[in-house]
Parts: sequence; structure tokens; C-alpha cells
Amino acid sequence: MAVLALVFLYPLALVVRQSFQPDTGGTSLEPYTDVFASSAFREALWTTVWLAVAATAGCLVLGFVLALVIAFVPFPGARAVSRFIDVFLSFPSFLITLALLFIYGTVGMANGAWTDLTGADQGPFQFLTTPWGVLLAEITYFTPFVMRPLLAAFSQLDPGQLEAASSLGARAPRIVRRIILPEALPALAAGGSLVLVLCLNEFGIVLFTGAKGVTTLPTLVYGKAILESDYPGACVVAVVNVLISVGLYGLYRVVSRRAGA
Amino acid sequence: MLVHSRGARWAVWAVFLVLFLPLFALPLLVVLGASFATHWSSVLPSGLTTAHYEAATRGEALQALTTSLVTATTASLLALATGTWAALAAAALKRRHRKALDALFVLPLAVPSVVVGLATLVAFSQPPMLLNGTRWIVIIAHSVLVTAFAHQSVSAALARLDPAYEQAAASLGATPAYVLWRVKLPLLLPSLTAAAGLCFALSMGELSATMMLYPPDWTPLPVLIYAATDRGALFTGSAVAVVLMTATLLVLLAVSRIRTRASYR
Amino acid sequence: MAPRPAGGIRFDHVTVAYDGNVVLDALDLTVEPGEVMALLGPSGSGKTTALRAVAGFVRPASGRVFLGDRDVTALPPHRRGIGMVVQQYALFPHMRVADNVAFGLKARKVARAEIRTRVAEALEMTGMGAYARRHPRELSGGQQQRVAIARALAVRPDVLLLDEPLSALDAQLRSGMLAELARLHRELPDVTILYVTHDQVEALTLADRIAVMDQARLRACGTPRELYRAPADAFTASFVGGANLLPVTVGSGGVSLGDAEIEVDTTGAARGASATLCVRPHLVGLGDGPNRLTGTVGEIQWRGATHRLYVDVAGHRVMADVRELKAPPVHGEPVTLHFAPEDAVLLPAGVSTGEE
Repeated sequence: MAVLALVFLYPLALVVRQSFQPDTGGTSLEPYTDVFASSAFREALWTTVWLAVAATAGCLVLGFVLALVIAFVPFPGARAVSRFIDVFLSFPSFLITLALLFIYGTVGMANGAWTDLTGADQGPFQFLTTPWGVLLAEITYFTPFVMRPLLAAFSQLDPGQLEAASSLGARAPRIVRRIILPEALPALAAGGSLVLVLCLNEFGIVLFTGAKGVTTLPTLVYGKAILESDYPGACVVAVVNVLISVGLYGLYRVVSRRAGA
Repeated sequence: MLVHSRGARWAVWAVFLVLFLPLFALPLLVVLGASFATHWSSVLPSGLTTAHYEAATRGEALQALTTSLVTATTASLLALATGTWAALAAAALKRRHRKALDALFVLPLAVPSVVVGLATLVAFSQPPMLLNGTRWIVIIAHSVLVTAFAHQSVSAALARLDPAYEQAAASLGATPAYVLWRVKLPLLLPSLTAAAGLCFALSMGELSATMMLYPPDWTPLPVLIYAATDRGALFTGSAVAVVLMTATLLVLLAVSRIRTRASYR
Repeated sequence: MAPRPAGGIRFDHVTVAYDGNVVLDALDLTVEPGEVMALLGPSGSGKTTALRAVAGFVRPASGRVFLGDRDVTALPPHRRGIGMVVQQYALFPHMRVADNVAFGLKARKVARAEIRTRVAEALEMTGMGAYARRHPRELSGGQQQRVAIARALAVRPDVLLLDEPLSALDAQLRSGMLAELARLHRELPDVTILYVTHDQVEALTLADRIAVMDQARLRACGTPRELYRAPADAFTASFVGGANLLPVTVGSGGVSLGDAEIEVDTTGAARGASATLCVRPHLVGLGDGPNRLTGTVGEIQWRGATHRLYVDVAGHRVMADVRELKAPPVHGEPVTLHFAPEDAVLLPAGVSTGEE
């Protein structure tokens, strides 16, 4: 307990303290007003939030569909796929961006194929260094985080319920909507809010994209602290980032506890 | 089974493959492919070579691998010890205190790891603890980050543990310490190894906090991969990434072997 | 080990409450050394709580628990020197059978050679000698139960606590284990046994005395014969064996049920008072006789060796278990029942009835 307080809480407290201490000395709100006034910060805040929300929505839809197929329309190898998803979770996020560079990068696979086929100078896929590239990478990387709790929830679902429903004449879409979806809601809520928090805090994916146009709060913290040595500014952004994600994480805990997960 | 007709089932599977393959299988295959190539400007990589692996298993890269392995092992062991201890201590506490302790230990999950990095940097760059520029600052940050995961999985396992075992042992005259050592910890062993594997994997791939902290002589693999891709050496980066994935997988595999043995004894 | 106490268990006004909810209300009960006492009651009656108070897993809000002449109320479980077997066995899954049985001895730092002989002895006694090298999950439910008993006996406790030990077994195994437990008690006559159960057959078969519990209270305590032949109240009557409980009015030298006059011992009952008449179904006969009751058959069940008749008599349902009938009466047929005056017991009128 004391150890954790020492290595975790004490540093956090220092960050908060430093966020009130501009380089000029003394204690004031100056770093806050400075940072809030800067357009870079506001842009980063906006980018972070919309990216996180969009990625979460994408993960939920994709994860639900994929988990549905694995659980209820099983095919040979479905178990291997779900084990693969577990493995996927243990890899660092930046690998995805690295792979996407090869696939959709300026001289990557997709563009290469396009130029080979059409003889054009440039391929059509130029989105990688835009927020869309980050979005694609985040959806790819975080979808397994939604699928895992979903698969767990589906495995608890009594197959008798599905059989009863189809014997009563319900067709597949109706069963999904009326029986599976309500059962899956807690897992969706829990997985969704976890992904939302993780997306807000994602750093590796954004960093690897190498896109100067895409700045999120975590990269802003990094940039301010390491590249500009503006520690008070970095601390302010950090505090904002912590507040947003801790707030959302608290929500996640409440939701998942109510869901009994 | 939800879909009964044969045709519909095939259609569903086709949709699944279309979604699954490009999104999940392709990236890993691409990284693997690129690690053996010198050019990739068309559908398939070209200029097959193993030169990147020679680079990725020697000198700087080899050192980074050792660094990562040492960091991950130390951090997971530290995290496992603290996390288990905290989970056990929490179980013995009153309800309200237990909640507070739980909340404290999951907080690092919610705090962005970049911020954990920044916080560690700020805290240990000034007296009384001057650790900036040493490897310990990296290890401390990693431990803090993964302790939350260790604590969570151990306390979940502890909650599932049937109190009847503990009580049976106590009724046979075993002191609480003896019960912990001979009954509780052996029964928790599968969850403990699972938690260790998770912590190890997370620490191996940790980039964000490390970027804020690493000293020049303690460069873990993810930082090396970033450095490589940043200067345009994508193919070398891929090779190092494959080394990273392989190392992680091997350790996970070993851990899960231990776990299977532990749970089927 | 602590100096050997004289055995026996004594509850002295023991009250247990969870969050202000009283689950055991001022229990006074003494179990003599070497006696088998069954705590019998429905779920939620407080019987398991009483056992756990002896084991030390619940701390009484007031009152004291004695083992022999030792006051153990404040002692932690591991210093009480008891043996305990629970419903779900709680064998340690990561240890072999022999290690499970040796656990208590190792925890008490008994010498190695001694452990070996005592483990072998305990396994022999429960007939599990051949299974010492197995793991618990390789054993059937009945075998696991035997190992759990061996584990509890290996520490040579003065007091053995059994918490619903047979309820996880199927009916056939249960009667076998019941005989086994009776044999073990004959072989270890000094061990005091507290046996918690909701099954009256187990209690009647095994116990020297039965304590009947309901709603956190002790309702009655006595030998199986006393409780069965002359229950003290309606709850005990219905819980220990089935019973017809009929509301009657006390007259002179008998009672009346509707129009019917019934001859029964009315000692101690005031004339004109309402009371409950208790008659065991198997003591009710079909046909004419003393204490004649007439009614119509409401339902009839064939149970192989017997027929059970449910007869509506003056608005009350009377059960009668009679030997299998060649020509059983049909639904709605008028019949006559009778029972001997000495087979009926008059109880004070009580509102509470137990579920059968």
C-alpha cells in the first residue's frame, strides 16, 4: 500500500502540483489558461474525443457481429479463431499501425496494386496519416477487447432459449434482436466503456502513424514534455486527460458492476 | 444453432471471413512478410532476405531484447507480488476499506500510461529519489502499469475461491499462515500464472510510458521498433517486431503450460 | 495439541445475528461426551449456524460455547481441536488423498512416522486405503465423502461436526453411508458428534438425541423415540415423521372433531379449550374400530407396499397409510377410519406447522 502510494500516487500528486507552477515561478492558474487558450490543445481534445467515440462505436458493431458468428454459427476453426483473438490482445498496439503502413502506406500493398493495375502515379489510399488511419487502426486493435466479454456472455446463454425461440417460429434476426442482444447488453456496455477509455489513452497507434496532423491528448503530453520540455503545460494536459478517462472508467466500473460482470 | 439453412450459413461465414481476415489476420501476416523483404511496393513483398533478422538478433537489437525481457520479468514479478498481497489483504479488510483499496489499485488502468510515464518522470527527477536516467525508472513505471492487471485478476480469482477450503483447513488446526501457504496459494496458482503472463505481455509491448522515460542504455524493444520506423527502416522494424511477438508468445506458451499442469494435477 | 479436554459440547445462551438479523436465538443445549446429537430443522432454522458457532466460523453476539470444560467462544477455529465434514466435502483438489488426510496432522507438526500410521489408520477405517495416491477429482461423491471423514478423524478430535454430510449423495449411497457412520461411531464411542441435517430419517437412524430447530429457536430436544411417540408441539410432530394435525375441542375424557367424539388421554388439558390432535398416518386404519371417523376419499395414491388415502373428515384432510389394498376405494367414495386411543397425542393448539 505504502509502496503503491509512493510510486503511483505521489508522482500523480506532483503532476497536479506542477501543473499549477509555471516556469516563471510561483503558483498560479497560468499554465491552465495558457494551455486552454492554445488552439493545439483544443484541437487535440476534440480529435481525441471524436476518435475515441467513433472507434468505440466501430468496435462495438464489428465485435458484436464477429462474436455472434463465432458463438452461434460456429465453423470448423472457430475455436482457433477465438484463441487467436486472445493472442491478439497480448500484442502491442503499434504493431497494427506498422502493418497498416505496409498495406495502405504511400508505397504499400494496396497502392502498389492499384498503380500496377492502372498505371497511375499515385494510389487512391492516402488516408493513413489522417485521423481515418488512426481510426482504422484503433478499431482493428480494440475490437478483440469487445469480443472477449461478448464471447463469455454468449457462452453463458442457455441454448435452450434459442431452441425454444426458434421452435416458437422466431427467425434468426428476430432471435438476435429479442434474445441475444438483451443478454449481451451488459457485456457490450462493459466492453464498450473499456475500449472508450483505452482509445482516449492510446498513444502507440497515434505515434506510429507519424501523422503531424493527428494530435491526441496523450501525444500532446509527450510532445510538450519530451520535445518542448514544457513540463507545466504537459502536466496540465495530463490532468485533463486523467480527469476524462478516470471519469469514464468510473462509469465503466459502475456499469459493469450493475451488469454483474 | 442460429442459422439453419446451408446457404445462409455459408453466407454468414463469408461475411465473417471478409471482415476478419483483412482486419486481424492480414496485419500480422504483413508484418511477418515484411520482415523478410527489402521492398514492398506491389501486392507481394520482394527482395526476400533474412538480413533483417541478422540485424534484429544482434548488437543493439539483441540488447534491446534482453532489456525488454529483464524489464518485463522484473515488472511482472513485482506486480504479481504486490497485486497478490493487496488482493489478499483486501479480502481480510472491512467492506468499505476493501472498496477503497480496490479503487486505488485499479486506478492505473484508467490513467493514461503516458501520464503515468510523465508522473514517474516528474517524481523521480527530483530529490529525494533521483532515478531519472537509470533503468529503475522504467521498471518502476512498468510495475505500476501492470500491477493493476495483476491485482484485478488475482482478486477476481480470490472471490471465486470457495471459503469451504479455508474453513476446512482451519477446522483441521491449520493457522492462517499455513492455510495461505498450503491451501490458498496452491489453489490460486492457475490464476497467478495467468496474471503473470498477462503482465509480461503488457510490459513487453509497453511503449507510451517508456517513451517518456527510457535512458539511452536501457532501450526496450518497442522503443527500438519505433526508432527504426521513424527513420524509415520499416523492414528492420518489422523484423524486430516479429522478434518481440515471438518472445512474448514463447513466454505466454510456457506460462500456459505451467498453468495446465497446475490445474490438472 | 492442547491438553485433552473431556469432550462434549455446551451452548450457553448462544445468540448469533447478521446485520441485526437474529439467526440463532439464545440456544441452550448440552451434548454429552460420546453422544450423537442431531440438529434437525428446515433450512434457515439456525441449525448450521449453531454448528458453525462450535467450529468458530461465526462469532456469537452473546452467550458462550464450551468444548468439554473449555470456554472456546473467543478461540479461532484452528485452536479448537475439532473435526468437521461439510456437505460439499471441501477436499483440497491439489493434494492427493493421503495428503488431504495428513493435512491436519502436518499443520499440527505431528512427527512424520506418526503421520504415516495415522493416515493409513484413518483411510483403513473409512475403507479408502486403496485410494491414497488418487486425487480427489478421480473419486466418486461417496468416496470423496469417506476421504473427508477420514481427514476429520485423522486428527483424533473429541468433537466431530457433520454439516449435512449426506445431502450431496443420491438416495442409495445415502443409506449406505448412514450405516457406515453408525459403524464408525460404534468404533469410536468417545467421539462426540454434532450432526446437522434436514432429513428426519438420518436423524432418527443415527442420533442418540435430536434437537429440533425452527426459526432460529430450539423447539424440542429428546430421544428419537420420545419425539416420535410423544412430540411436544405441532412443529416437532410434523417435522419428525409425518403427522395428521387436527384442530379439536377438549371435552370430558376425550375431544371432539366436528360431530365426532374421540377418546384420548386429556391429562393436563382444560375442558372446553382448543387443542391439536396428532395421529401418525400409519397408525390410522381403514374400517370400523375405536375412534371412528367417517368421510369421503379426496385422493388416493398407490405407493407400492402401501396406499395413502386422503380422506375429508368434517372439512379436514386426514392421511391414512394402509397396507396395499386389493380393491382400493375410488375418489368420492365414503369410507370409515379409526385409530387406537393410545396412538394419538393431544398437543396445545399451535398455529405453526412445518412443511413436510
